Amino acid sequence: MDEAGTARWLDAFDDILGRSHLWRPDQLASSVDAAVARLGMRTTIWLVDYEQTALRALPVAGRETPAPVPIEGSLAGRAFTRVESLPMVTEGDHHRWWVPMVDGTDRLGVIDVAVADMGDAGQAAFVRRCERLAGLVGHLITTTSERGDHLDRARRSRTMSTASQLLWRMLPPLTAASDRVVVSAVLQPCYDVGGDGFDYALDGPVAHLVILDAVGKGLSAGLACAVALAAVRAARGAGHGLHDQAATADAALAEQFPDARFATAVLAELDLDTGRLRYLNAGHPAPLQLRGGRLVRELAEGRRMPLGLDDPGAEIAEVTLERDDRLLFYTDGVTEARTRAGERFGVTRLIDLVERHAGSGLPAPEVVRRLAHAVVAHQGGQPDDDATLLLVQWSPVAVSKTVPHAGHAQEKDEAH
Amino acid sequence: MSEHLTVSAEHVTGPVVVLTAAGEIDHDSQSVLGEAAAAAFESGGRRLVIDLAGVPFCDSGGLSLFVRLHRQAVERGGSLRLAGAQDSVRSVLTITSLDRMFPLHPTVEQAVRAALAA
Repeated sequence: MDEAGTARWLDAFDDILGRSHLWRPDQLASSVDAAVARLGMRTTIWLVDYEQTALRALPVAGRETPAPVPIEGSLAGRAFTRVESLPMVTEGDHHRWWVPMVDGTDRLGVIDVAVADMGDAGQAAFVRRCERLAGLVGHLITTTSERGDHLDRARRSRTMSTASQLLWRMLPPLTAASDRVVVSAVLQPCYDVGGDGFDYALDGPVAHLVILDAVGKGLSAGLACAVALAAVRAARGAGHGLHDQAATADAALAEQFPDARFATAVLAELDLDTGRLRYLNAGHPAPLQLRGGRLVRELAEGRRMPLGLDDPGAEIAEVTLERDDRLLFYTDGVTEARTRAGERFGVTRLIDLVERHAGSGLPAPEVVRRLAHAVVAHQGGQPDDDATLLLVQWSPVAVSKTVPHAGHAQEKDEAH
Repeated sequence: MSEHLTVSAEHVTGPVVVLTAAGEIDHDSQSVLGEAAAAAFESGGRRLVIDLAGVPFCDSGGLSLFVRLHRQAVERGGSLRLAGAQDSVRSVLTITSLDRMFPLHPTVEQAVRAALAA
């Protein structure tokens, strides 16, 4: 064993955690770089922008900050999209790696690691340690972001509307996974969203899933979305079921907005032991159940009126998923997206695209990123309406793709 | 750009008023229909029929208005009925389940007959 090497890595982790108590958001990148210098390493931290089209480097003191790198067609982008560490071709005897940086499984960016000597434990162990380092930095970026504006500013390619600020601050991470399920969402247009929102909770054997779309535009829609989401969370947090969650949102919206501002939504609970899915569809486009890239059914039952309009007659619908089934929730901004000539994106095109990605082995967050970009490209510019996608994969294989994995793969390759 | 929305009102008899809309109903244009409905209520109308045959598009702003008009009509002891919706508008009304709140009639004649019978 490489005990001296292990001790140096532990020291670096210890140093980073020690510094993190008091570092400012603008000091994070320089502090991490300083802490790993004892390992002979140099790091540059790159954050993905909100639209998920480019990676943007955080400045490090005394070093020139590189220009943003597009995700499409770059090695850094490949490491990001596949959540996979990739070696760079380097001159001289330096080794350089693009290492994916996640918070849990939420893709935040990549870390560019340069090192002269990967250590006695070998390349696979080195890369795995880099992935752990990137995972730690990912956690710290998420918590440090809240202390100031620097990290959020670094992720933005332009300014953000008040409604977008309201919404992004209340949404959970775009991706989360447990050992059995992965949930991944995407929301466009990210700098100017209105009333779309999503939520999930992975607790015990149940995955709670929510997508919603509040009536109206801009901040007024964002406010209604915020009220509905908070009401659903409050009821769920108190241990109440789907009916009560919807009723709590009905009451909150009716009380706050006497002008009949409602929100369409799907509230669902997936039992991860049995695959049983229970759901209410409050006036929302029917989610899709997919298997092997084919549509099994649209979840068109469990209908009631939108949240905000009391509908006591609603009945919870039930279907059973098979292992590896996917659920795709979406808002009408996806299917109603139009070209300049007026052609709708439509549900058929959405299903076609999901089918095409089903066999690609891409991580769930990458599938939804590509779907969302297809919707934006279809419109040839700024979308008229919010478009939100939420993909659920009940599959340990899909889960494994969301965790940085090149280190493990190479370890297997190199096993004696 | 959205076509201009125009609305004309016809008092069929007593409380039954038919509002005929032509053009797209969206967040920006819905107030035109809202004002016509307010005038109908003002002049004693309670059972509103909105003729949507000339409406190719309706967004959530329009749907929200329908809910408000339904409420106002019910408060007055009346009703809201939608008639002649094109497929595009009908599908929005059924996806949002708002057809559980107020009836959709294929034609204005059927809607008026139902309004008179109520």
